[in-house]
Amino acid sequence: MDSVIKNFQAIVGRDNVLSEPDELLVYECDGLPQHKHRPRAVIFPRSTEEVSEVMRMLARERIPFSPRGAGTGLSGGALALGEGVVIELARMRRLLKLDAENRLAVVETGIVNSHVSRAAAPLNLHYVPDPSSQPTCTIGGNLAENSGGIHCLKYGVTVDHVMAARVVLSGGEVVDLEETGTGLPGYDLLGVFIGSEGTFGIATEATLRLVPLPQSVRTLLADFTDVMDASRAVSEIIAAGIVPAALEMMDGAIIRAIESTTFSAGIPQDAEAALLLELDGLEAGLGEEAERAEAILRKHGARAVRRAKDEAERKRLWAARKGAFGVMGRISPDTMIQDAVVPRSRLPEILAASYRIGTKYGLRVANVFHAGDGNLHPFICFDSRHPDEVLRVKEAGRELMETCVRAGGSITGEHGVGLDKSDYLPLIFNADDMDAMLRVRAAFDPTGLCNPGKIIPTLRGCGEAQTRRRGEKERSRLVLSPCPRVSASPRLFFPASPRLSSASARPSSNIESSSSKSNLDAMRRTLCGIAGEENVNNEVEPSLVVSPSSADEACEVLKFAALEGLTVMPAGAMSWPYAGNPLRRCDIIISARRMNRIIEHEPADLIAVAEAGARLSDLNERLNGSGQWLALDPPGDANETVGGVAATGLAGALSVGYGSPRNHVIGMRVALADGRVIKSGGRVVKNVAGYDLCKLFIGSYGTLGLILELAFKLRPRPARTATVILSAEQAALWQCSRSILAAHLLPVAFEIVSENLAQSFGVEAEANSRALLVRFAGNEEAVSYQTMKVRELAGRERIFSVVETDDEKLWRMIAAMPMKDKQHLVWRVKVRLTDLRAFIDEAMKKEALFSNARWHACVADGRLRVASTETNEVEAAIASLTRLRNTAKKLGGALVIEQAPTEIKNAVDAWGALGAKAELMRRIKAELDPKNILSPGRF
Amino acid sequence: MTSTSQLGSLLAAEEDKLLACVHCGLCLEACPTYVATGDENDSPRGRIYLMRAVEEGRLERTSRTFERHLNRCLGCRACEMACPAGVQYGQLLEAGRAELFRTKERRGWTNRTLRFVLRHVWLHPKRLRMAFGFARILRDMGIVRLLIKSRVPRMISGRAEFALALLESSSSDKLTKSVGAQQSVKATRREAHDVRQSKALLFTGCVTEGLFARVNRATRRVLEVNGCKVNAPEEQVCCGALHAHAGDLEGARHLARRNIVAFDNDEEIAIVTNAGGCGAMFLSYEHLLADDPEFSERARKFSARVRDIGQQLETTGVRASSALVDEKLTTYDTSCHLLYGQRAADASLKLMLSVPDIRFVPLVGSEVCCGGAGVYNLLETELSSRVLDEKLNHVEETKAETIATGNPGCHMQIGAGLLLKEKKVRVCHPVELLDESYERAGFYEKPK
Repeated sequence: MDSVIKNFQAIVGRDNVLSEPDELLVYECDGLPQHKHRPRAVIFPRSTEEVSEVMRMLARERIPFSPRGAGTGLSGGALALGEGVVIELARMRRLLKLDAENRLAVVETGIVNSHVSRAAAPLNLHYVPDPSSQPTCTIGGNLAENSGGIHCLKYGVTVDHVMAARVVLSGGEVVDLEETGTGLPGYDLLGVFIGSEGTFGIATEATLRLVPLPQSVRTLLADFTDVMDASRAVSEIIAAGIVPAALEMMDGAIIRAIESTTFSAGIPQDAEAALLLELDGLEAGLGEEAERAEAILRKHGARAVRRAKDEAERKRLWAARKGAFGVMGRISPDTMIQDAVVPRSRLPEILAASYRIGTKYGLRVANVFHAGDGNLHPFICFDSRHPDEVLRVKEAGRELMETCVRAGGSITGEHGVGLDKSDYLPLIFNADDMDAMLRVRAAFDPTGLCNPGKIIPTLRGCGEAQTRRRGEKERSRLVLSPCPRVSASPRLFFPASPRLSSASARPSSNIESSSSKSNLDAMRRTLCGIAGEENVNNEVEPSLVVSPSSADEACEVLKFAALEGLTVMPAGAMSWPYAGNPLRRCDIIISARRMNRIIEHEPADLIAVAEAGARLSDLNERLNGSGQWLALDPPGDANETVGGVAATGLAGALSVGYGSPRNHVIGMRVALADGRVIKSGGRVVKNVAGYDLCKLFIGSYGTLGLILELAFKLRPRPARTATVILSAEQAALWQCSRSILAAHLLPVAFEIVSENLAQSFGVEAEANSRALLVRFAGNEEAVSYQTMKVRELAGRERIFSVVETDDEKLWRMIAAMPMKDKQHLVWRVKVRLTDLRAFIDEAMKKEALFSNARWHACVADGRLRVASTETNEVEAAIASLTRLRNTAKKLGGALVIEQAPTEIKNAVDAWGALGAKAELMRRIKAELDPKNILSPGRF
Repeated sequence: MTSTSQLGSLLAAEEDKLLACVHCGLCLEACPTYVATGDENDSPRGRIYLMRAVEEGRLERTSRTFERHLNRCLGCRACEMACPAGVQYGQLLEAGRAELFRTKERRGWTNRTLRFVLRHVWLHPKRLRMAFGFARILRDMGIVRLLIKSRVPRMISGRAEFALALLESSSSDKLTKSVGAQQSVKATRREAHDVRQSKALLFTGCVTEGLFARVNRATRRVLEVNGCKVNAPEEQVCCGALHAHAGDLEGARHLARRNIVAFDNDEEIAIVTNAGGCGAMFLSYEHLLADDPEFSERARKFSARVRDIGQQLETTGVRASSALVDEKLTTYDTSCHLLYGQRAADASLKLMLSVPDIRFVPLVGSEVCCGGAGVYNLLETELSSRVLDEKLNHVEETKAETIATGNPGCHMQIGAGLLLKEKKVRVCHPVELLDESYERAGFYEKPK
């Protein structure tokens, strides 16, 4: 032991290691002191290099470790079990970079959450996620827990605001993970890493998205004499299409506790419930929205609706709300805090149940929660000095949790599972679900040393389970060993790989099991047996296309394929079957087009559940009736299925306002390669139970599983949209786009398009000019204010502008641009916003091949998509693409070929080198699809 | 009650009063030592955890960890403001330190010296006056300045140099013409009709009277201008804050009783302090003597009468004056005990801002401790200087040429830091600025 400590000291210095048992005492618990485990040592690294070196040594010595930030977590996540050490990041708290133009901050993860916003405030920007522990908690802890906070109702949680992270894996490898939804290639490893509670590795640096501080804010405090009235008001506000920035509820017990402290905010003490509602955005239109909200509050029995008159009063109201956890110390010597999420519409009954359970066990229950998200924090009061009460509180907690799960909820919305709730996990996930999670965990952490004993119950203190896992891993490695790595050229093994796109050229010799005609017939017979004869065809020679009508049928097909060693490509409407690298083999295509039911839509919950084969346009038509929609416009021709949208993970122009598919999917059911069906996420908008495997399947292009069913977070349909079209020569337009951005308006789409594309949808553009399209959505006042503002800015630069109020068709055409012809060359690039212009100039001017290409680029986030028709000059295209890819790479971005004639695809990798990510992707693929059945060779 | 169970009973009382730490961690970033070290042991939450562990028998009373981390607390009580559960950390800390004070083992020479001085100098007003007199001679003859310039103390130890810098920084500013010691308020001004007549008992304080007599004179004059008849009881002694913070609660109680007696003549008259540390200590007499049957009630009444000069002027109102001669950019650093202990920081700043046309620039992190904390800077010099550096960086950002603060400890700490960094920034008490503006307004006269 002593020598181990000495080794730590050699790496980080004597002052940065605590090893005296007495000094380790305070590290035995985090924000939830019920659980105590004293670590063997606490190490304070000061750089990524030191973290890496420490972890290398830990792996060598086989010592488990747990990362820790400020120790404010509420699930026992930062406790080191089994003689482990704590890696404490509190001494890595530098702000490395603040970039106003690209709206990002690069930080060391030990930095305190609120310090980021404080630093960005002079730039009129802020970092949105604001958990109650914001003044103290670290960004690293936020990443581990995927923290929410008060404003996540409108703006999303941590995963929606982190653009990249530098992660050290057990064993010391350093990997840079990036957000993929906006166009970067590869699995969304960042998405699944966030919320992994320190069991995948340690994030040491993070790039955070900053957003403009809202121009205006209205904070309303309504008090009620009945808690049920308040919760009904919540449901109606949401169903009425108002998206508050925050919507919080406190019950009578909490109100009275808060009012007795320094956090007192003047809430009437005889109230039984108070709602704190915040609306933010542009001043224009906000007043109207506040009035609508107030009317609903009064309709449901609010006694008084108070509006914060200034920033000081607003701060006081929020401080009162955020202090609620600590304030509990005044109500009771000990409290158990729960973190359940239920569909919003079930709030009234769950609240009633919580008080009923309290009465049943003779314990006081107080509720303070994020009502807008349906995220409850019931506090159950007890006194740990009475053992009997301790037993009862545990019983009550469990019963409450079971009630929430029965109502369609989840066991944790933001606190994480950690050590505390791992026993609850089986309430919502079955053995297969958890097995899939364990596999992904093993891919990230093959050593099993990363924060062991957390999240998944089987691992708790059980060496046997870990050994079993390792044994399985070894076996799966053996099976996979002949498989080429993702990053290496996949064509090494099948040099004359056939392309799906040229149906005639496929030599059957590459197919072992179905090489002969008789095998093909046998295959067809089986598939017909499963899905019915009319649902099996060979529209894409030589593969058989099967369209099952249900998840069960689809799984049958998968099981059959697994048994026979056949390869399978999952597909939707088959809009993008040729994405990525050419498949090495494809025996069966499973199309989800017949699995197109819309299963559920609950307007008050703002969620919808649909089968993967449902078309996005059909879903939206259905949602339209209740004034809601799934705010996505991925590249496509209106035939795309929701499953396909998720599998590609691609964002369209609307991502500026609403995000990409990864921000909208809250749950899914997926068939794995062996035909087992697993579930991830759920049907609630906020959920951190287990790993968020949804993120992994989104953008995996059918290489990890077959998506069967998806649950989406919806948005209220805006009352109005309008697009301002500006046309001028490009220097002026770029200039203007910057002043529009600087005006901190809230466009939902913001694209610059090439002259020929502009002409194709009827925008008159002079020669050598471009068009800039700015789309706004919202209520009448907000939209007309913003369009007017943009026209004013354009006028100042003498740029011609028009407003298109019926703009749906225009944006559809942009989305359909890459879909025109499957022989076209379509590629996309993602670079930093500030590099976009230079890149476009280089691509369009220097590369003659693309001088006439149609393209559109997002001037709010640096996405570019180019489609060209002149694809016969293969050699020139290959050379151009390679040059441009290098340029993109140098700028820290990437170039992805979405569609290309086969000669080009054979010569240039569709994704480009994926760097250190490739190995992780390969490990994940090997864990989830060990026989490499699903879309082999796509990455 | 024996002091053996002081900490234990206090912790239990907190639990019963439902003012117990729930371990939420909101105090961490409010704590200057945690911010400097990132070590949970150096946080309020961690220290309370250590205290609880000692009480529960999970940690030895003699544990080095317990001693080290309790000693490293500045006692600024910023955590109390951040604490949603209302934990009275200051009281817990004092009880914890009393626990340490009783333990004889393992005490370094600094602690021995401190203990000796507190017991044998501070409790005896005559010896204390002599000590300060000697210090003034060294300071006013320029010996201290010469020593610092010679760099010899630095060679001995950083602590020695800092101690000298503290003393030197207490001397009055040569650049600014402050109000002469002999000046007094013109009779006409004193009895002006528009101000309400009132009385005040001035607490002069040991360090203030010993090294900052000018602040006491300014306080007197300003009070008089505002219609307040000032009297300073002869029998008053040191407030006992140093003793209490060092865990010598018996010493603190001894001094507290003497002060209560000294100020006992009229229950109606306010006791005015101009040092946040002393003011906060006076407020805690109530708690300190709660178990003394003879004094508990008197202590409660005493504490209720205490006002900082800023608060007192809020009750009298501040008479208009004229602008300062040189309009230097001025900033204000909040004394922790004025803010968290006495809750009088707003009044103190308001006093300063009542000077006409003052060019005020706010100080970022004004609410954070400067690292002075009584004699903490001499006991935990390394950590103290890290906390101070942070403060000085913020002071530099303001580009202010004058910084005002309402406590002599903070005055010397910031002054010493500036001195050693060779920064020409004047440090003063806010009341001095008002005093100067009154002089300029012609409210004062020289004695004939």
